[in-house]
Amino acid sequence: MYELVDHTEDINRLLARYGVKFGIYKNNEFHEQLFPFDPLPRIIPAEEFEFLDRGLSQRVTALNLFLADIYSDKKIIKDGVIPEDFVYSSKGYLPQCEGIVPPGRIYSHISGIDLVQGKDKNWYILEDNLRIPSGASYPMIARELTRRAAPSTFSRTHISDNRNYAAMLKETLDYVNTGGINVVLTPGRYNAAFFEHSYLAERSGAVLSMPQDLFVEENRLYYRQYGGKKLQVGAVYRRLSDEYLDPLTFLPQSLIGVPGIMDVYRKGNVAIVNAPGNGVADDKGIYYFVPRMIKYYLGEEAILSNAPTYLAFYEKDRSFILEHLDRLVVKDVSEAGGYGVIFGSDLTKEKLGELAKVIQAEPRRFIAQEVIDFIDLDIVEGDHAVPRKADLRAFVLAGEKTRVWPSGLTRFSRNPDSFVVNSSQGGGFKDTWVLSR
Amino acid sequence: MGAISIEKADRMFWLGRYAERVLTTLITYFDFYDEMIDGDEEAYRTFCDKIAIPDIYGSKENFQQRYLFDQEDPNSILSNMERAFDNAVVMRDELGTYTLAYIQMSLDVLKGEGGRTDAPVYDLQQVIDYLNAFWGCMDDQVEDEVCRNIIKCGKYLERLDLYMRLGYPAKAVEKEFSKFINRLHRSGLSYRKENEEKLAQIIDLGEAWTDRGEEALEALWNLF
Repeated sequence: MYELVDHTEDINRLLARYGVKFGIYKNNEFHEQLFPFDPLPRIIPAEEFEFLDRGLSQRVTALNLFLADIYSDKKIIKDGVIPEDFVYSSKGYLPQCEGIVPPGRIYSHISGIDLVQGKDKNWYILEDNLRIPSGASYPMIARELTRRAAPSTFSRTHISDNRNYAAMLKETLDYVNTGGINVVLTPGRYNAAFFEHSYLAERSGAVLSMPQDLFVEENRLYYRQYGGKKLQVGAVYRRLSDEYLDPLTFLPQSLIGVPGIMDVYRKGNVAIVNAPGNGVADDKGIYYFVPRMIKYYLGEEAILSNAPTYLAFYEKDRSFILEHLDRLVVKDVSEAGGYGVIFGSDLTKEKLGELAKVIQAEPRRFIAQEVIDFIDLDIVEGDHAVPRKADLRAFVLAGEKTRVWPSGLTRFSRNPDSFVVNSSQGGGFKDTWVLSR
Repeated sequence: MGAISIEKADRMFWLGRYAERVLTTLITYFDFYDEMIDGDEEAYRTFCDKIAIPDIYGSKENFQQRYLFDQEDPNSILSNMERAFDNAVVMRDELGTYTLAYIQMSLDVLKGEGGRTDAPVYDLQQVIDYLNAFWGCMDDQVEDEVCRNIIKCGKYLERLDLYMRLGYPAKAVEKEFSKFINRLHRSGLSYRKENEEKLAQIIDLGEAWTDRGEEALEALWNLF
């Protein structure tokens, strides 16, 4: 494996050649930058992956049942498992999606579940991403390039091939396709994840579409061809947020949506992947209830644990949070991308006092978690390896079956003192090798 | 034919134009660069005049740097390469990652070392090589024939335009016109037939086409 280290520069050069980048906005300006790649992979033994596979499939199955329930009968609320206010006050709950039954009854087709492995070797779920999780394209292309750099490593080691992600994605889209082509709908090239949009379109055979390429006519969605022809669209893998998707249903000022697409979706004439309204299930507050959801819908104990979490919404939990604020990590449920994460241990006494006041004033806005001492992974820095914090984003695809991609995006912090691994915060990525035996 | 939207067709056409503009003007630039070595300080002015860009440079030294690498100069090679890239990057699904890489690398050379060297011709040879590789890779990798035809329609229109402006021999102009028309007819793009006919008549005049040079360029510019 260490032959990969010798080729670190070569691999990063190839990643630059193929435009493997992500975008960030700083001071209202768009900057595109390379996503630093570390050649030492995260390795997951076969039996450990088998455990993760069962746990992740169970979790995503329950989350899909939750979404189906919330936008229809709401039994989980009626049965008192999740407080009503908690669901309806979630920013991700969209009343416009009430009563819609998506094709195949699937809501979260592509789920990005973030996990960490503690020093006790247990895996903990940090958060669920059920709206437009990104990142699969990076290990996918990195694998292709690292295989070239170290062929003998791959010959000797039994590593599950992760280059099938695009095929899995295509099967997922085909399964819910209502008749017509598959498209990847991107807001445009100045989106942070544009590389991924275009690469997944290329590899899955879907058509990369800008919002203006799509239009609605007589309750169907079409792709506008030059020369006046049109092609019916059966599945839209949309990579823009719910609120911008359809100006006739959501934000009227959205210039990047497709007017009328929600009506077509409501009538069952197109699949939208992932379903609008999923934000209610990946809300950081709702996360607290996922083990209860699993018990409620599947009658099973959760295979994978949440990080120990306290909900400021509950008085008992709130008292605990306020008492132990200096050792907990507090998360603003409305933020993402590593923003709104506050480590109590980093704050002065005065700042802790200010935070406590905000939590008391807006308890629904915050959760607090024990800081998990998760294992470090080695990364290459100069001529030697140094340990850094790393998480894993696992991808679960739900179509005819619910399947876990035998790989994942391992993100690491480049800062030795930081737990924040997000690319937007300067982190890098590794490939994730799942051993096949 | 695959799924090609109006915007994609437009981008394909302009990718062809900008990529060709960089390639042909770079090759021509080398000729004028050579003339300037021998002391013809004003050669660059002729170059600007012929390709109809304003002479904002003031000296050959300034021209040699700014025309190649100035991001603020909309007529610079770098600016044209950026436009080629802007059009290409949104068509990864049509072009493919391997083909797109040659446009990316051309841009990277112009943005990178090329801007800091005192012998840019060596670095720029790489851009020419990558662009030629781009055209070859596109022929080989892009499956959709209509897509190839639209991109090449842009390419040959740009080449014809530059050859006519730069005073290339009639044979060369005639050859590029034939390649352009061949692609135009197979692209599915709508155009003004009367302009095509007028252009054909003028180019048929052989060496005498230059007598009606302005008319020919006008017909070309108003073809779409």
